[in-house]
Amino acid sequence: MSIANRSPAPAVTRRAQARLGVALVLPVMIMVVAFFLIPLVNALYYSVVDFNGINPNPDFVGLANFERLFTDPKMAHALGNNITWIIVGTISPMVIGLLVAMLLWSVQRASVVYRVLFFLPYVLPGVAIGIVWGWIYDPVNGLLNQLLRAMGLGDLARGWLGEPDVAIYAVLVTAIWAGTGFAIVIFLSALRNVDIELVEAARIDGANSLQRLWFIVLPQIMPVFLMVLTLTLVGGFSVFDIIFIMTGGGPADATEVLGTYAYSNAFQLSDIGYGTTLALLITVLSVPVAVLLNRLQRKLSLQGTGA
Amino acid sequence: MTKLLRLTTIGLTAVLALSVVGCTGGAPSDGGGNDTDPDTLRFMIGQPEDPADLALTEQDIATFAEESGITIELDVIPSENVRTVLQTQLRSGDGPDIFGYDTGPGFAGALAEAGLLYPLTEHFSEREWPIYDFAQERVTFGGEIVGIPNDIETVGLFYNATMFDELGIAQPQSVADLTAAAQTIADSGVIPFAVSDQEGWQGGHLLSMVLSSEVGSDAMEALIAGDTRWDSPEVVSALTLLADFNEAGYFTPSPAAVTYDNANALFYSGQAAINPTGSWLAQDIERNVEFEVGYMPFPASDGPGIFSGGLGSGLFVNATTTKTDAAVEFIDYLLTQEHGRWSVENTQSIPAFPIDTEGIEATPLFSQILDDAAKIADGSGDFGYNIDVLMSNTFNEAMGNGIQGILTGQATPEEVAVTLQENY
Repeated sequence: MSIANRSPAPAVTRRAQARLGVALVLPVMIMVVAFFLIPLVNALYYSVVDFNGINPNPDFVGLANFERLFTDPKMAHALGNNITWIIVGTISPMVIGLLVAMLLWSVQRASVVYRVLFFLPYVLPGVAIGIVWGWIYDPVNGLLNQLLRAMGLGDLARGWLGEPDVAIYAVLVTAIWAGTGFAIVIFLSALRNVDIELVEAARIDGANSLQRLWFIVLPQIMPVFLMVLTLTLVGGFSVFDIIFIMTGGGPADATEVLGTYAYSNAFQLSDIGYGTTLALLITVLSVPVAVLLNRLQRKLSLQGTGA
Repeated sequence: MTKLLRLTTIGLTAVLALSVVGCTGGAPSDGGGNDTDPDTLRFMIGQPEDPADLALTEQDIATFAEESGITIELDVIPSENVRTVLQTQLRSGDGPDIFGYDTGPGFAGALAEAGLLYPLTEHFSEREWPIYDFAQERVTFGGEIVGIPNDIETVGLFYNATMFDELGIAQPQSVADLTAAAQTIADSGVIPFAVSDQEGWQGGHLLSMVLSSEVGSDAMEALIAGDTRWDSPEVVSALTLLADFNEAGYFTPSPAAVTYDNANALFYSGQAAINPTGSWLAQDIERNVEFEVGYMPFPASDGPGIFSGGLGSGLFVNATTTKTDAAVEFIDYLLTQEHGRWSVENTQSIPAFPIDTEGIEATPLFSQILDDAAKIADGSGDFGYNIDVLMSNTFNEAMGNGIQGILTGQATPEEVAVTLQENY
């Protein structure tokens, strides 16, 4: 019997199915409303008022905060730092993570130990990472400068977090150290689903390591690769904690990103209206990227490509 | 199905209502966390730097509870969160009954303007609280006294007196003396000044010291009142001195990368000879060093200079508390002679009201600080101002960023002075 010829389910069954559907969707609906829609509406409200965090009846200012956004050189500077962070902070953990995962793929003995070791920084609290790396970078007694001096490279010793041209990259190194373990573990899991016979066949056909990676392995793990890429990329837009702890956005705004700039306006300068507008900008920039990559990932999954 | 939809609607409405209250704070209600016990006060303070100080505070309120029968529930939160937490709690009507907070216009002043502080003017006159006039002015907003200043603080230079003796350096009496001393210290392989500026606020203290000594208290008052411009030659000159000292290598290498705690550690360990900071650190210094320590003002170009003085934090009462009697009784206790002497001897803080110091047990370093601070109160000494407690948040941010800019070579003193004036 074809599907088209099937008789409709009884009304009792349909009602039961509908009830089940609503019951299954309800928790998600509640969470979306509570943790997304209401905060979003709240944020939109605060972005059109002049709110200092105290005044119970803030003045309505219309689009003034948005106009200010587009003429604020500090915002442009912070956005530039976000772009640097997104480029370096996305490419580095993806490349390092993939390479290390490839190396660990064939490791049989103690592979769990390696995985734990590489994943450990990812589960450490951001505050602890920031404080410890702050000590490492300390210009006087920091481990990094002491190592450089011990190796006769004292000329390279510097105040890593205190030099405007270097500070953002010093913090980035810390973030890459902390985040690469996640990429390694996820890639490693995806690699376990790669068809080894295809890889071996390519090897027999004369494909070198890079060709095997590019034409055989990567297409098979592409959805997972895109998932990690999405998370890392969106993290680049919303980066806050590690910069706030290590430099506070300084020196003299040199490491300011949109997240720290929004915080500074909202909670240090008590300009919650503008701080919220900056936070909305982060959302506006990051959501389309996340949606785009998510759709691409789904498309590849439906095509049957990947792990 | 209809029943299910109704349940769904009720559920969503409940979540909506809870979230709105959670996100926006809701309507103000009685303070004190809805605790109706009139003899229990909730007291919020920022986490002290040293756990020993928190233990002393706990001991102090236990003594008060024993004497008065009023229980105080201490609510200690990270200092950097006080502002955010307090504003949110006060707005939501769930604030503490009493709390410690900065006395500046951007802090207590903003709360007073929003009507979130309980006015204490009548209690001041009724109970004749003996707060110094100048201190009283700092907690007066819109003609109403809204708080009790906790203590007087000065900002100056702590120096390793033992090291000074070993290097044959006398206490500098001018900028030229200080420069020569810094050079001698640097030549001996020690960092002359334990300067930190990663957090940004330390730059304001450096400027306060240099500028106060150079121009004197009257000129500082004119700057703070806006009668003199912040891009005037005096301000540029003070900023230039900081730039020159940094350029000469007298400050910690890359001071904008050094935290306050790390700079203090450099001083404690003898890796740095002079610590430019405030009298609040005196007790920690004495706990951590094994050498003699002196305390002096940043010298002027033509003399020994003056200390920058001001108020630290203050104590405030929630406008919506229903326990004002208990709160006022607690303030009464804090302003007694006995408590004042206890503060001096145990927490090394200088009360903002006159106390009889005869027979008081204090270290030589703190005795000196106490004597100097007493001159602020009785008007017998010239004192400068700690700029950041008297200026707006916007100005303070410009000052912090500007001095970081000078210390990292991103800005010139002239540029920073112009920025200060723009943000006045």
